Amino acid sequence: MSRGVSRRTFLASAAAAGAALTIRFPLMPPGQAAAAAAYDPNAALTITPDGLVTVHITKAEMGQGVGTALAQIVAEELEADWKDVRVDYPTNDPKFGLMLTGGSWSVNWTFDALSRAGAAARLALIDAAARTWSVSPADCVAERGVVRHLPTARALRYGELVARAPITRTFTEDELKQITLKKPSEYRVVGQWIPRLDIPEKVTGKAKFGIDTFLPGMVYAKVVYPPTREGGKHTAVDDSAAKRVKGYVATVTVPQLVAVVATSYEAAVKARDALKVTWDAGPNASVSTESIFAKFASAKDDPSAAAWHEQGDVKSAMGGSARQHEATFTTDYVAHMQMEPMNCTVRFADGAYDIYTGSQFQTFAAGTLAATLGVDASKIRIHQQYLGGGFGRRLEPDIMVETALIAREIKRPVKLIRSREEDLKRDFYRSATLQVVKAGLDRDGKIVAWDNTVVASHPGRRWGPDFVDKKGLDQFALNGADHVYDIPNQIVRAIPVDTGISVGYVRAVAPNYTFFAVETFMDELAKMAGVDPLQYRLSMLSGAPRLARVLKLAADKAGWGSPLPANTGRGIACVSAQEKKTPTWTASVVQARVDPGTGKVQIDKVVCAVDCGIVVNPDGARSQIEGSILFGISNALKERGTVAGGALAQSNFHDYQVLRMDEVPEVEVHIVPSTEYPTGLGEPGTTTIAPALSNAIFAATGARVRQVPLLPDRVLAALRAKA
Amino acid sequence: MASLLINGKSHTVDVDPGTPLLWVIRERLQLTGTKFGCGVAQCGACTVHLDGQAVRSCQTTVAQAAGKKITTIEGLHPSGQHPLQLAWIAEQVPQCGYCQSGQLMSAAALLARNPNPSDQDIVSAMSGNICRCATYPRIKRAIKRAAQGGRA
Repeated sequence: MSRGVSRRTFLASAAAAGAALTIRFPLMPPGQAAAAAAYDPNAALTITPDGLVTVHITKAEMGQGVGTALAQIVAEELEADWKDVRVDYPTNDPKFGLMLTGGSWSVNWTFDALSRAGAAARLALIDAAARTWSVSPADCVAERGVVRHLPTARALRYGELVARAPITRTFTEDELKQITLKKPSEYRVVGQWIPRLDIPEKVTGKAKFGIDTFLPGMVYAKVVYPPTREGGKHTAVDDSAAKRVKGYVATVTVPQLVAVVATSYEAAVKARDALKVTWDAGPNASVSTESIFAKFASAKDDPSAAAWHEQGDVKSAMGGSARQHEATFTTDYVAHMQMEPMNCTVRFADGAYDIYTGSQFQTFAAGTLAATLGVDASKIRIHQQYLGGGFGRRLEPDIMVETALIAREIKRPVKLIRSREEDLKRDFYRSATLQVVKAGLDRDGKIVAWDNTVVASHPGRRWGPDFVDKKGLDQFALNGADHVYDIPNQIVRAIPVDTGISVGYVRAVAPNYTFFAVETFMDELAKMAGVDPLQYRLSMLSGAPRLARVLKLAADKAGWGSPLPANTGRGIACVSAQEKKTPTWTASVVQARVDPGTGKVQIDKVVCAVDCGIVVNPDGARSQIEGSILFGISNALKERGTVAGGALAQSNFHDYQVLRMDEVPEVEVHIVPSTEYPTGLGEPGTTTIAPALSNAIFAATGARVRQVPLLPDRVLAALRAKA
Repeated sequence: MASLLINGKSHTVDVDPGTPLLWVIRERLQLTGTKFGCGVAQCGACTVHLDGQAVRSCQTTVAQAAGKKITTIEGLHPSGQHPLQLAWIAEQVPQCGYCQSGQLMSAAALLARNPNPSDQDIVSAMSGNICRCATYPRIKRAIKRAAQGGRA
């Protein structure tokens, strides 16, 4: 495919844990290894004669502590001394395989491969030492960066071994697979409290993000963006006034964009403001929140809707059920609002593009840039920087494409920084959604039929055919609707709708809205059945004992069932996010107060219990769970993107509000000790909040709110509807 | 021409006096620890000290800053050992880290005028600084730790 590796193909192979890294042995022919004076046994790590072990992190560091966690995995099997371990974030190269960071996948995809990479390097070092001493490798051990010959107590440090002679031991894939890895009970680095490697430079201002890039001779660009999110075209450009701005360098007009370039950021802003661009706003100029939801409402009954997930016979089970219940859930657009506005710096020289930015998906970006610019992908070098927030925003290569196009035209290094307003208007939002869920219950209140229709825009359709299935569906717009409850007859109908508003992947992605519907509706059914919501869920989790366990744990720790003051309630939700095949079992109890006069909701406390298998870095894990919960509160209580005139109506943090310190409740996190294969932690917590909060509002007031965000006017409307 | 005293060092820059201080600090002088987040004093990522007061450098002009002592994150402590910086490490506060310079500068101004802030004092002083990773509980703990002489 033109864009490099297919994510879908990759996802299939990644289901077998650890397929993410291509371990190629040998990486270098023996002669070159000597010349390099370093042991670089595979794409994962390099050991240099000074004894330092540099682990090459091909995942983006955007605050999740991935660099430290992945280095711990390597160090564990390598028997490195942790004080010798460093990380770097290499420039994209096919040898690193798929460079993609998202989906809470990083540890899950790499744990096995990085463990084996570390182990293989350790075995090679032991071999080299044994050869040096002319002894049997079986009599040697490696520990804390030293190989020791046990019978004679001789020792050589890893750095000394690398300096001494080329290390040429190679491993086939089969040999790698046959290496016996440590048992969790033998771990000394994995599971330890280890401070994150990136934190010291993040408290002194020294950490370099994309926006902190400076290149010699660099100039600044501003792009003039169309009035609509999609479909606008420039028809005329008048730069006569812009040219009079002090510092003006050039106007760039290409089919994809209009930009102005100047010697400083503020001059570029002035020149941009002076540029007169005439737009054809395109077909979406009248798209609004109302028109989008009207489109969703008419699409929901589409008889040709594809079944994304189906088991049993829903039609006859529904027909034969004693009682039915149906409810409609909607969610609004959500923006990423990562703190570092999108920016990029590009140097175009000798036919190649050096790109400085923070990317979550270098493989896709390199393919897209190569196709757009008409060069080979090897001419696209993405120099990875820290990401000032990712949350899925930096999966998109849009800012790189814009900057590279400008750099190609002006042939000088150029830095493009979007303002916050531009960042928000040009975002790829989490889709607004409409979901209709219907269930049939038998006489005992047991669910016998489940019918869920999910209407949403699917980001993968924009990315291309490799990012949707044969039915044109993007699984990442649907995950979660295929929940793990024991319900014999189920169907999930998927209806993708394009709206003219670009959608993308925002932290926790589809499970934010799918589990909102599933878990809120589950509460409604429990009420119908006359069963406690906790017990009702537990009665359907025989196939997911680990989820049942965290559900009970969260409930116990939250004092489930104990009395609360008036207008205060507890709500519960549990999820198998992010994906049913690789779930992090997560349950939350939200305790909230509702002001019946204003509809304002105050969250007092969140108790979250998580089972993610082996925990690599316990404090980092805790930090991710805390952050994901608070991100979920921000989404569930505050964030509402609306559309007017074919574009997002909001412009900055004053009208697109996110959680601040004065709104933060007590958050209690419980992580279940486990020796199961690890999954991920960046997102699942987020997905529990909206349903648990809606359920808490119901418990507090008897009013059911089925719209996210759970804004005061919506709560008030639900209170009135109940009365 | 404007003369700016930043972290004890004098800089002469050729900019319009109405230019936001932020862009001079970041893009001219390449003191990049101070961050651009919103440009409208809503997020606090660009917080610096002007004569010891926390201000939003995106809404402070060069003319307003001239003649005053400007302190950025790079000048908070000569070797990055300000009690708050140590507390930030002890509590493992940052996630992506982008907002943290601004958070630290707001917190440092708070502790300078109120060495023993209550929870409410901390929330009041810090609610102008957004952290999208939502490291707020740890920020609060770190400020308390620093106020208590580094003890948790």
